[in-house]
Amino acid sequence: MSSRQPPPQQPTWADRDYQQQYQEYQQESYGQDSYAWPPQQQTYPPYYETYDPYAEAPPETPVRAPEPEPAPEPEPEADPGYTLPAVPESSWAVDNRRGKLLGRGVLGCLLLVQAGLSLRLRGTAFEDEALYVASGHYELNNLLHGTKLPVDFAAYFSGHPKLYPVLAAAVDSYFGLTGVRVVSLLFMLAATGLLYAVTRRLFNLRAAIGAAALFSVLQSTTVLGNFATYDAAAIFLLALSMYAVVRTDRMRSAAVLLAAPPAALAFGVKYASGLYLPTLVLLAVVTAHRHRGVKALGRGVFLGAGIGALLAAGYVLSGPLGGISSTTTNRAKGADSAMTLLERSAEWGGLVFVAAIFGSVAYTLRGRMGEMPWIEGATAGRVRRAALGLVLTGTALLAPAYQIHLQTGVSLHKHVGFGLLFAAPMAGLGMARLVGPHFRHPQLGILVYVLALVFGMVQAQRVYSFPDAAPMVSYLRTVVHVDKKGSYLAEEQEVPAYYLRDVTGWNQWQSTYYMDYQGKDGKQLTGPDAFEQAVRDGRFDVIVMHGAVTPATYEAVKKGLEGNTHYRLAAVFPYMTSNGENAYRIWVKR
Amino acid sequence: MSRFRALAAVLLAGALLAGCSTFSEQGRDEYRRAQGKAAEPSLGVTEAPAEATKPDLPYDVRPLLQPSKKYLGVAAVGAPASMKNVDAFAKAAGKKPNLVEFYSAWGDQYETAAVRNAWNYKALPFIAWEPYDKTLKQIASGSQDAYIRDYARSVKELNLPVAISFAHEMNGFWYVWGTKKATAAQFVAAYRHVHDLFDQEGATQVIWVWSPNVINPAPNVRLKPYWPGEEYVDWVGVIGYFARYGPSTYRTLYGPTASQIRAFTKKPMIIAETAAEAGERKPADITNLFQGLAAHNDVIGFVWFDIDKEADWRITSGPASARTFREQAADPRFGFDVTTP
Repeated sequence: MSSRQPPPQQPTWADRDYQQQYQEYQQESYGQDSYAWPPQQQTYPPYYETYDPYAEAPPETPVRAPEPEPAPEPEPEADPGYTLPAVPESSWAVDNRRGKLLGRGVLGCLLLVQAGLSLRLRGTAFEDEALYVASGHYELNNLLHGTKLPVDFAAYFSGHPKLYPVLAAAVDSYFGLTGVRVVSLLFMLAATGLLYAVTRRLFNLRAAIGAAALFSVLQSTTVLGNFATYDAAAIFLLALSMYAVVRTDRMRSAAVLLAAPPAALAFGVKYASGLYLPTLVLLAVVTAHRHRGVKALGRGVFLGAGIGALLAAGYVLSGPLGGISSTTTNRAKGADSAMTLLERSAEWGGLVFVAAIFGSVAYTLRGRMGEMPWIEGATAGRVRRAALGLVLTGTALLAPAYQIHLQTGVSLHKHVGFGLLFAAPMAGLGMARLVGPHFRHPQLGILVYVLALVFGMVQAQRVYSFPDAAPMVSYLRTVVHVDKKGSYLAEEQEVPAYYLRDVTGWNQWQSTYYMDYQGKDGKQLTGPDAFEQAVRDGRFDVIVMHGAVTPATYEAVKKGLEGNTHYRLAAVFPYMTSNGENAYRIWVKR
Repeated sequence: MSRFRALAAVLLAGALLAGCSTFSEQGRDEYRRAQGKAAEPSLGVTEAPAEATKPDLPYDVRPLLQPSKKYLGVAAVGAPASMKNVDAFAKAAGKKPNLVEFYSAWGDQYETAAVRNAWNYKALPFIAWEPYDKTLKQIASGSQDAYIRDYARSVKELNLPVAISFAHEMNGFWYVWGTKKATAAQFVAAYRHVHDLFDQEGATQVIWVWSPNVINPAPNVRLKPYWPGEEYVDWVGVIGYFARYGPSTYRTLYGPTASQIRAFTKKPMIIAETAAEAGERKPADITNLFQGLAAHNDVIGFVWFDIDKEADWRITSGPASARTFREQAADPRFGFDVTTP
């Protein structure tokens, strides 16, 4: 550049030649910022040879290059052996076949990591798992052989007892609890896969990988992938419905009805899924790419009506479901403070939520990353982009908000995962934007993933921690009556009732939550008093307590055991959970 | 560029906020415990060995509490660390004893080898635990908890049934835990405390023996105040010897005590220590003991103090005694296999 600048001082006589050369050059130049060389220079001797206009021209050098000989007309070729295909505009920013393959490879790796994270968790059946699988066996017998149900499970279940429990029991019959848990893992892996497909269709491959990566390492995903409850099935069905909504975005409005059956089924499997049905309807509206304005609402109306019709039909067919109100809509209020619940939610989903907010903001500002600006494609308008971000990211807040309303932290660790399934596409987009065009900052993407992975792993290990029931159950097997008689009081009675269902009936197990008892003096008792008196009267053949779930009943039982000649402490099995050390205590009749 | 950095910083801050609880001290403890380890390893808490995780069911002692036949027990010098004297007794009695009593002083470790010896001999080990150098008050106060817990853990770990009588003959004046140095309330408090700690540790293999001396030497001491409660006792282990100068029949020796005890409990009774002093009367005493036991269904057996201490209590003190014992012990109601009751 310096050769182009005028010399800073008045040129001396020694510089005169240079000065002149410079002026000549300035006249010929095409401006300071032009990179295009004057075309005639291509025919002159190379520009880097010093051009001296005053030099004697060599006699043989022509002043102007002669016109090149016109090339002979190419002879028309006979049939070419092959034709070159049109070269498409291609790069890693475009989903081509190679990109698709690459993306699937990465997805495969992510699923492997997810499976590994889930399978590393171990434990005997948790209370809820035992309850659903055991009830499933009774429901299955009821369906197949018309056997009477021991209790009306529908009255207090938080999902329909003839859906997931029956599937779980069928699997349990052949593969045991591990098999049922593997089914949950398959559900969660499928959910991640569907999430990938949804995000790829909504945005692009990179966002899809980001979404799958973040969702696959969440605490809730890891835990539910090894947990025999209907949560995994419900998440899968919601993901399937979301996929159907997004996949039909450019079809006729009525095509969105394909999303209705899985959505309705998700509600049937777990009633709390109903919280996310409005999200699906809104998503149908926002992704109505063929329509604008009021017409876009058509998809939402179709989907809403479809789900509603299916649910109404299902309700008519299934009869009364008391469980909906007792477990979901009108659940007993707890005593957990809003602050605690928010803190926990932030711990379990905060990172993905922040990434989703970033993705939503970035998406609202720019529809594309601008890596290859000359490639143009239809992007949704700004309002629609903002709406998409709002609907998906906002859904992550539903479960925490609802549980804060109920003031209960029960199952929150599972429920955050439902909302994060919807927020994950935005989080994936956020991650892609964070990495930036041309993979400018891969370290930021890796940072976010690794943080999510570490938090997810540690939190899953802590959440997935419940008493080891194996020694308790094997001891009980030696003391229960084999003739299906006898009465057993057990804290979390579902666990032994599930494992010992071959030798005991469901109703032989008395739960420690609630009991009515008529004392020998004819007095009607309820609550802790009932337990105390029943123990004093020697009503149970075996008592199993640890006090971690129903401490009030434990105290009552201990009082009932004072000066009691009926029972003898027979076994103490210590166990360790993340809450600390505790022990099963088993009393038997002397 | 700076935009990305700012955003990354925001993300990091958010992550660290979340991390506050996940990786806080409490969070780390919870994580460790979820892996089945003690929360704070540096405090010297021993971690459970790997084999402890496999279900090892505690021995169910209930069939031993009220067997259909009666225990034929013995206390012999050096037993059950060495079974030599027990073998000699078995030879003289013509029947293997199925209960071996021995004494453990306060501060002694649980004698697992001795207990295992007895069990291998198919005899129930019976330990008289004597709190010599600590008062009942001290024991009840909790100052001995570490020792008691350690003892209980050993019992649990060995997982063999054992009968334990704590501070026996508490209603007599001759021991340091007797009526001269301690009150009934102190005895009950200490007994319950020891029992509670065993329960807490899960040492359910213990058959708890409440073991008063017959009331004859101290008729004014009521037994009821010494009773720890139904849930604390499995056996009432009455101690009473046929001494040269004293009651000479089963009824006069044990009757008054039994009737007092039966006023407040129906727990099975065992003669936790007995013997007859060498002399003319000894064969008759032996006969009396066996006949008396056979006549009482609530009495589940006896322990013969086969030691030459202060007097010769052994069954081999004279040929007539040995012969009588052998004849009486031949009764099929005495003795059974404790490993398959």
